[in-house]
Amino acid sequence: MSRLSVKVGNVSLKSPLILASGTCNFGHELSGYYDLSILGGLSSKGLTIKPRAGNEGVRVAETAAGMLNSVGLQNPGVDYFIEHDLDYMRSLNTGVIVNVAGHSYDDYMAMIDKLDPHKDKIDALEINLSCPNVKAGCMSIGTDPAQIREIVSAMRQRTGLPLWIKLTPNVTDIKAMALAAQSAGADAVVLINTLLGMVIDIRTGRPVLHNNTGGYSGPAIKPVAVRMVAECSQVLDIPVIGCGGVMNYKDVIEFMIAGASAVEIGTASLIHPACPVDITNDLEQYCEDNQIELSELTGTLKLW
Amino acid sequence: MNQEYTCKVLKRVMLTSDTAYLTIGCADIAGKAVPGQFVNVSCFRFLKRPFGIASVDKVNGTFCIGIKIVGEGTKELASIEEGSTINVLGPLGNGFDLGLSDSFILVSGGTGVFPVNFAYEVLRQAGKDVTMVQGFRDKSQICLTCDDYIVTTDSGDYGIKGTCIAGLDTLSPDKNTVVCCVGPVPMMKAVGNWAKDKGLRCYVSMEQRMACGIGICLVCVCKVRAEEEGIPFKHVRCCKDGPVFPFEEVIL
Repeated sequence: MSRLSVKVGNVSLKSPLILASGTCNFGHELSGYYDLSILGGLSSKGLTIKPRAGNEGVRVAETAAGMLNSVGLQNPGVDYFIEHDLDYMRSLNTGVIVNVAGHSYDDYMAMIDKLDPHKDKIDALEINLSCPNVKAGCMSIGTDPAQIREIVSAMRQRTGLPLWIKLTPNVTDIKAMALAAQSAGADAVVLINTLLGMVIDIRTGRPVLHNNTGGYSGPAIKPVAVRMVAECSQVLDIPVIGCGGVMNYKDVIEFMIAGASAVEIGTASLIHPACPVDITNDLEQYCEDNQIELSELTGTLKLW
Repeated sequence: MNQEYTCKVLKRVMLTSDTAYLTIGCADIAGKAVPGQFVNVSCFRFLKRPFGIASVDKVNGTFCIGIKIVGEGTKELASIEEGSTINVLGPLGNGFDLGLSDSFILVSGGTGVFPVNFAYEVLRQAGKDVTMVQGFRDKSQICLTCDDYIVTTDSGDYGIKGTCIAGLDTLSPDKNTVVCCVGPVPMMKAVGNWAKDKGLRCYVSMEQRMACGIGICLVCVCKVRAEEEGIPFKHVRCCKDGPVFPFEEVIL
């Protein structure tokens, strides 16, 4: 066993590194840059029942230490995914995480019913209750503990697949959302999706993004994510997966100390596609230097 | 395997008051690149910046890009010192298929002059019949030109007064001629329609604000006509599915 192997509940991963949904598509493109089997897993582009064209116009705005996107869940639909991409993801010899999005309770249930028959090829479902770029569902569900409980409980009835609930940071009390997911039978929570933001072009007085707002990601949001991982891991019994602004191995270690069992890499892949190779090597060196198994770090945070 | 290269900027010249031209050392990119492809280049900002490959020297293992200053990132890259290193992903995108014909008309506007220059180099080396039409706003913007080219300026202070359509109208191409156009959307639309009227095949190169450049983030989409009935359009990635598309497939 490698020093990097971790467990998220019952799911064993060979590394804590998972490529975050929406920053790796289905793995086809990045597999041309490095061997994806070094990863703990890959979370698919957010999928919906029907194909979605996504938002129109400008979808990206840069900031000093990050970017906003307003892609709007462009995806080929779950049926196309099952037919064309799922076997490919399975062939990558890494954890297969399928990201599930929807606009309503019924959408999410229909998605589970489509994916559950393929459970042999899937390691976990990542339930996206947090996309800020669509008009209904997703984030509007993930900001209400009652709706989180209702949806996650109903999904729990329909599938034995591990349910990882990806939550939005755009709430007053993230612990309440995470506890709602846990009480409904979630296997893990993923913290965090993007922060809702806006960038204005001062020459035109208009937002850069044609959707006006977008999801903020990148190193700028890492302290927010680390804080939320720390807060939630103090009160939860289920594992936490950290996500937000990871650029290097130190960021991974920081998330694990805060309480994360695994860590997702998102925006960093858009700038340095092969960055997980360096991060993996650096983590191995860190474990070697400190004579530890990486998983020992999880939740070792010493608060003042 | 593809990789991110750390490359040296070997030479920097200013072509106009706001446009720099960099020669960059990278034998792999020079060896693989085809016209119409681009590179995504690190600057001092968060994201990389995409630039069409303007010229390639396979023998010396170098390639060139043109940088028009439009914002902070391009401003910094345009003033980079010779000898500096930059991180480069590429060559990216599909590029033009220059095997389609023995006769080409190349049309450029704005920063389209750069990728089109590379296409001209390759077609000339292949001994093909190629006509270059360059459209500029005015004389101060003219770069990478030569006496053999048809040059138009909106202001009329150099070459033919008018848009590149005025330049194209001086030509009588045969039916096998393929038109390749890189420029602002209104120009590509006009050139595409001009080619259509003449019964010529036309390819255009699409641009949108980009992040990854390799097809994983889906931010740089453009619209193409959908094959399925009842679907008004499909979003495709400029960086990965393009940037070159047949004119009749894109919705401009």
